[in-house]
Amino acid sequence: MARFIGARAFQGLVTLLGLVVLAFLVQFVIPGDPVRMLAPRTPTEEVAQRIRAQLGLDRPWWEQLGRYLTRIAQGDLGESYVRRQPVARLILGRLPATAALALAGVLAEILLGFPVGVAMALSPHLRRWLSGLNLVLLSLPTFVIGLSLLLAMGFWLRLLPTTGGTGLRELILPALTLGLAGTPWYAGVIRDRLEESLGSSYIRMAVAKGLPNRWILVRHCFPHVLPAVVTMAGMDFSAYLSGVVVVETIFGWPGIGSLAVQAMQTLDRPVVMGTVLVGGAAVILLNGVVDMLRMFLDPRAREGIG
Amino acid sequence: MAPITIASGWPIEARRSLLAGIALIGAVSLIALLAPWLGDPYYQDFATGLSPAGLPLGPNHTHPLGTDSLGRDVLARVALAGRVSLSIGILAALLSLALGATVGMMAGFYGGFLEALLMRLTDIGLALPTTLAGLAMTALLPAGLLRPVVIITLLFWAYPARLVYNETLRMRRRGFVEAAVAMGEARYRILLRHILPHLKTLLLTYAPMNAAAAVMMEATLSYLGAGVPLPTPSWGNMIGEGQGALAFAPHLFLAPAAFLLLTTLGFLLIAEGFKQAHSRGIRFSWLAL
Repeated sequence: MARFIGARAFQGLVTLLGLVVLAFLVQFVIPGDPVRMLAPRTPTEEVAQRIRAQLGLDRPWWEQLGRYLTRIAQGDLGESYVRRQPVARLILGRLPATAALALAGVLAEILLGFPVGVAMALSPHLRRWLSGLNLVLLSLPTFVIGLSLLLAMGFWLRLLPTTGGTGLRELILPALTLGLAGTPWYAGVIRDRLEESLGSSYIRMAVAKGLPNRWILVRHCFPHVLPAVVTMAGMDFSAYLSGVVVVETIFGWPGIGSLAVQAMQTLDRPVVMGTVLVGGAAVILLNGVVDMLRMFLDPRAREGIG
Repeated sequence: MAPITIASGWPIEARRSLLAGIALIGAVSLIALLAPWLGDPYYQDFATGLSPAGLPLGPNHTHPLGTDSLGRDVLARVALAGRVSLSIGILAALLSLALGATVGMMAGFYGGFLEALLMRLTDIGLALPTTLAGLAMTALLPAGLLRPVVIITLLFWAYPARLVYNETLRMRRRGFVEAAVAMGEARYRILLRHILPHLKTLLLTYAPMNAAAAVMMEATLSYLGAGVPLPTPSWGNMIGEGQGALAFAPHLFLAPAAFLLLTTLGFLLIAEGFKQAHSRGIRFSWLAL
């Protein structure tokens, strides 16, 4: 087990390094001069040179990359060009909001997707209606779902606030948006796994023993479904942690996604790199955790590692 | 009139989905094709196109879908946007599918170094955070109508590549391929004559799903201001423009959103038809309910 964790951690570090190097190099290809975004007016060539020297932008790219890697190895993500604040503090300040939204979004996906998936597997009658509903949800891009909810719940029914904020009431609509966008995927996977289970011999055995249906479902069918749900939820959670760009933009949710978009527009390289790094690290770390969790839940996956 | 003969041998449910999808896409395409006859999408009518208070008009006799905040006719704009969004979506979907299928087939069939290289590239493509990567690519490419096509192609090709790769690997081990190799047939001929026909179902089912996803991606990019450049209308940037008026003129959001929904729903229904035609139906359950 320890060897497995070690190997995964090493693999994760290599992937993260590759991601950072790639993201760093892409920024040199993007047209636009960060100095021009920084200076209040069009700077004279002399001033521009001085700013460049100050930020280390006059060095060749490999030297800049080397310096950057050395600094992040020491835990220093640099300072924002635009906001003149340490990047680490900027991102940490946004992290609670993004984490709350990510968690609420994943919860909403499971709470909506699970009953829909179970109902589709168990009732041929409901199945037709629910697959129609799923198809409509699949046809709507996330931002259209978000704006429709905003229109219906905020402006027509006046149930929930329409302006940005970080409170619990402001969290409901963005979380519900993520939940509705994820519902068809969760329902589909849950339905497939449940159907697989319902036709299997261990369910025949349980029926033959005369166990009540509810007991069979909860004790024998759901454990077969659970690992798939955990995998999906973990992948979504880690993806959302790196910023839910569109949803955060619509609802004015002050998370990492909107920070990344602003930084990209103002060519704030240290912040862009910081969000890439933190997002990548979150994805890699959580995917590792999900694999562990799945092994814990699914005896078959445990056999794979010696 | 002769009876409709499309997919006549298919199960009734599959056929119904397919025809419903074709009807939806047909209706949206028809409105898009009629765009030049539905009014001028750029004419800003400040005299009669706005309410006395200067607000957009709701649906009325002269403007069936109302006007926007500059007094432009929404129906004319939605129709022209249909041309833009549909052509970008379909073009990007076809390009990404063609690229992905070629990569997947080459990697699966030729193997070796080519396989390793192409599949690592595919892994990177699959790992890209779609929206953020799309925004980053926007900064790299010159603005224009082709930019969203290129971006969507670059974001989407890896998914069909992975599917086709897996399928080609399975085909490779089948007897008819081995027989063709033993008979000394040229590699590219085996690929085109023996393997490609077996990928037909996969590609036919994937193509409409890909088109739906591409239309949605174009809308998302345009909504974020990174897709079709204004003043050319696309459903996405129309929704972006209408967002601020959600409280007092919801038709500016609802009209393009409805067209977007009908289009993607149409494509997904077509895909659903193909899927239902090839699935084995509801599975057997031991649990009597």
